[in-house]
Amino acid sequence: MAETPPSSTSHPGNLKYIRYDHSLETKYLPAIRALISKDLSEPYSIYVYRYFLYQWGHLCFLALHPTTEDLIGVIICKLEPHISHSPPTLRGYIAMLAVSSGYRGHGIATTLVKMGIEAMTQRNADEVVLETEETNIPAMRLYERLGFLRSKKLHRYYLNGSSAYRLVLLLKNAEGEEDRDFDAEGMALDEDEIS
Amino acid sequence: MDSNIDDTQHSPAGSYQQRATSSGTLPNEFVGLSITNSQHLQLHHQAFADDYLQPPLPPPPPPPPAMGDNSGVIAFDITEKFRIAAQTLEPGELVKDGHFTLFESVGALEIMDPKMDSGFLAPGESLDEDYDVTRPLLPREVIGIIDRLLSLEMAWHLGHPLSQTLLTNVYIERMLNPEPMSLEEADFIRDRGAEKDPMHQVLRAYCLGLVKTCWFVNERIKQEHYHEEEDFVTNTYTRSLLEDIDADEIRDEIMEARKVVYNLRHRITDEVSWALGFRLELRSAFLRVIELSDLRSDPDSLSLPWSQMKSVWEAIEKSRHLGTPVPEAFSTKIQRRLASTMPPRPIVELSPDETYKHFKKLIADGIAVLDVLKYEDTQSLLNFVVTFQAQKPQPMVYIRTLLQSFLFKDMVILGRLSIRHILDADLCLIALPSARLLDRTNDLVEAPHHPHYAIAHQMELFRQRAAQSYLDIFRVFCQNRCRIRRTLFHSIHDWDAVHADALDIDSLLQHQLEEPHITYEKSGPLWNKPLSSWAYFYKLRIMEWCVQFGFELEIYAPDELPKMYYYLYWLTRTRVKLIEHFRIFVNSRYADYTAGIPNCLTVNTNVTENEFIRSRAYLNQAHFEAAATSDMAESLTLIYKALMKEKLIDSSPPQPYGNDALRFQFRMRGFARCDIPGLPEWEEYLSLDGPRYTSATMLEHAKHLLIETRRWLEGMCELSPDKSFTFNCHERWKEGVENILRSLIAMDELCGRLLELIELRGAGGLEGVVKVEIGKPKDWHHEFWAVPTLVELKGVEGGGKK
Repeated sequence: MAETPPSSTSHPGNLKYIRYDHSLETKYLPAIRALISKDLSEPYSIYVYRYFLYQWGHLCFLALHPTTEDLIGVIICKLEPHISHSPPTLRGYIAMLAVSSGYRGHGIATTLVKMGIEAMTQRNADEVVLETEETNIPAMRLYERLGFLRSKKLHRYYLNGSSAYRLVLLLKNAEGEEDRDFDAEGMALDEDEIS
Repeated sequence: MDSNIDDTQHSPAGSYQQRATSSGTLPNEFVGLSITNSQHLQLHHQAFADDYLQPPLPPPPPPPPAMGDNSGVIAFDITEKFRIAAQTLEPGELVKDGHFTLFESVGALEIMDPKMDSGFLAPGESLDEDYDVTRPLLPREVIGIIDRLLSLEMAWHLGHPLSQTLLTNVYIERMLNPEPMSLEEADFIRDRGAEKDPMHQVLRAYCLGLVKTCWFVNERIKQEHYHEEEDFVTNTYTRSLLEDIDADEIRDEIMEARKVVYNLRHRITDEVSWALGFRLELRSAFLRVIELSDLRSDPDSLSLPWSQMKSVWEAIEKSRHLGTPVPEAFSTKIQRRLASTMPPRPIVELSPDETYKHFKKLIADGIAVLDVLKYEDTQSLLNFVVTFQAQKPQPMVYIRTLLQSFLFKDMVILGRLSIRHILDADLCLIALPSARLLDRTNDLVEAPHHPHYAIAHQMELFRQRAAQSYLDIFRVFCQNRCRIRRTLFHSIHDWDAVHADALDIDSLLQHQLEEPHITYEKSGPLWNKPLSSWAYFYKLRIMEWCVQFGFELEIYAPDELPKMYYYLYWLTRTRVKLIEHFRIFVNSRYADYTAGIPNCLTVNTNVTENEFIRSRAYLNQAHFEAAATSDMAESLTLIYKALMKEKLIDSSPPQPYGNDALRFQFRMRGFARCDIPGLPEWEEYLSLDGPRYTSATMLEHAKHLLIETRRWLEGMCELSPDKSFTFNCHERWKEGVENILRSLIAMDELCGRLLELIELRGAGGLEGVVKVEIGKPKDWHHEFWAVPTLVELKGVEGGGKK
């Protein structure tokens, strides 16, 4: 289970999309880790995955191969009040998104992101945010096609020295609220900024 | 090194002790754990980690921690209780308190994972490097080591941590660890006899100079505003960078080593002797640069060691081929001995060419930044900082912090001016030439009921209110480009508050001065309100920068570009009107002055004439710049609108979530909190491409707007530093204006070709005939002007470009 599915350029047919559940940990957590950490130079510890999956498993979705049920794609999110500034908003955050390289280009990531957004919308999210590397054009295109805007550029955000964009999807009218997005400066740490 | 590696290839020394050091910031209590499938406990608070790492047999309970004098704390061994409690948890179950955030969870480490566990050793791997620093070195090997050190030093300047750069060098590590208490101890061979190997002496002197320079650079950066790990990593991992060793003594060692090298020239060849000599000279010049920088004195004398570095650097470059690399003198294993939780990460490799290029730039910027000390006027100073930081690539963080120290150190501006001097000079230039409000004799009035006493008091209140926001503009521009934009958004709100408070002070001052309004033909009675207008001027300018940096940093989606150029047009048009306001009052007072008519606001001194002349010149220049931006922004708005009308750019790409109104609200929310100037009437924006406009009429109008602007910009390129307020930065500023002019010409040509094509195609439209590419800022003539280019897909008649 731990290894990612073999490369394949053909469309695998109707993938199964399922919501993560704690009972799936044994079956899928190793594959989730393997898929996500594939492109990371500094992998997350198992604790980081559990930090998300245990608290927001309902905001995690898996794309599975229709016959083998191998993991092909995954999205991991969280949703909690953003309390660094007042008044707080309910902020969704897309923490991790990965699709096995052989299956890219078939809209699997888009489907997963949509499932994540819809799950967060149902739970009353005011906004959804994420960061993506500035050179990751396909990822930015994916999010921008769904309605995300770039809100700011983060200089040398990643350990490898590359910069990132913060992307934001506003789901509700925030009229009259304090501007939160430009308030991150001067703070020791906006927790979103480190993941 | 003694090897206490156990069977699992895991070295406790390299791992947990270090982490315990770095976990000092975490609360001293258990904060989180997770249970793995094998029921193997993984603790993420390091203070507890040692006890639970080696299943299956429970280790003996640890000795109670030494309490010292902290009596009142009673230690219990909870190991067994903890194990029992942990067994009730399901695998994957999470135990954490409410304050355990994502940040802490990302800091968790997994033991025995080679990418996370700094003590993890591959089979057969040794814990430490085994390089012998006492081995004899060939002169060419010393050159090779030094050149690698130069590349690592530059990588550090560029933002990589010491652990992956200079602290990977075995000689430096041995010199710094254990910490040397004297110059003699500062040596990679401790307790060596009187007889020194000459090549060891050369390398030691070089390393002394290098490390001491790094200490100075690190301290300089820490003292100024920068962003840790984003711009620079100041962490020294508890290695002291020769902090207590005197720089003069180190310079003497370098001099000694140069003599040694010189005396050896017949044995080691002239060529090699020179190559080593230049490298030592670079160290000595860099130390001299740092020493003089603190003086902020005459820029010409400060530039001497920089110029020396510049010529030495070229000589070093030419002798690079003489070096023999000694890769074994560099090792990532040293990182295990540094105070860091990270497993060894690779050495940052900068190619010799990159090293050469970046050092050259560092030195060139080091020389150029000194010119800021030749202060002439506040607007030239602002232009200096803005154009200096707009260079591509931007000056390195050391130079940027050097600029900050020149500007602000000890609250003395440029080493010789008070904050009041700068602030008053700027008010004088923009709004208040020869004005009673800025007259220093007001301070001498002691009678509390005298109007001048009240003026002095109110002006002091205003200065206190505005000084920080004003100086912050300079400070903000010393940050990296991303931070400039984000911090400027904060400045908008600072200036909004200054603006509001200044309005109150203005009305009090107006009362004290009994200053009458001016009746102006176009707009009826006008009140001067100089202080609040000055604050408004900067607020608007900052808002414009916020929009413009959005273009440079590629924040906007293509369909947002016309809106943002429209907003820029609207802001600059507002500022043009404000500049007109200043001009009305300054010109009116100047007319009184030349006619000999007394004016309640004007003070006649021997500099009055000159102050009026400078102010009028500045307002004239500011008007042209703002009006040029306004016209170009309006023109580009129309061009984008026409391109959208022609369906060459998607005006409303389908986006399943959110909606256009929310997106627009989000985009504007950094600006929307200001009551003044508020937001533009978007009906006007929308009406620009209303049914009565065709693409052709929009493009014709866009082209028309550029005619006069082009003349202004061409005229601006001819201005002297005096007239353009660009003393000491004129060349950089002029290059910027020329690039804007190129953008304008590209816009004009684009309009022309589009109009031609529209005429040729008639009702056929342009879709499928041409393609529009917006490109990247580096493709544009100027990073604030996203002028698209046309790619013609099939042969179309007409004289335009193919």
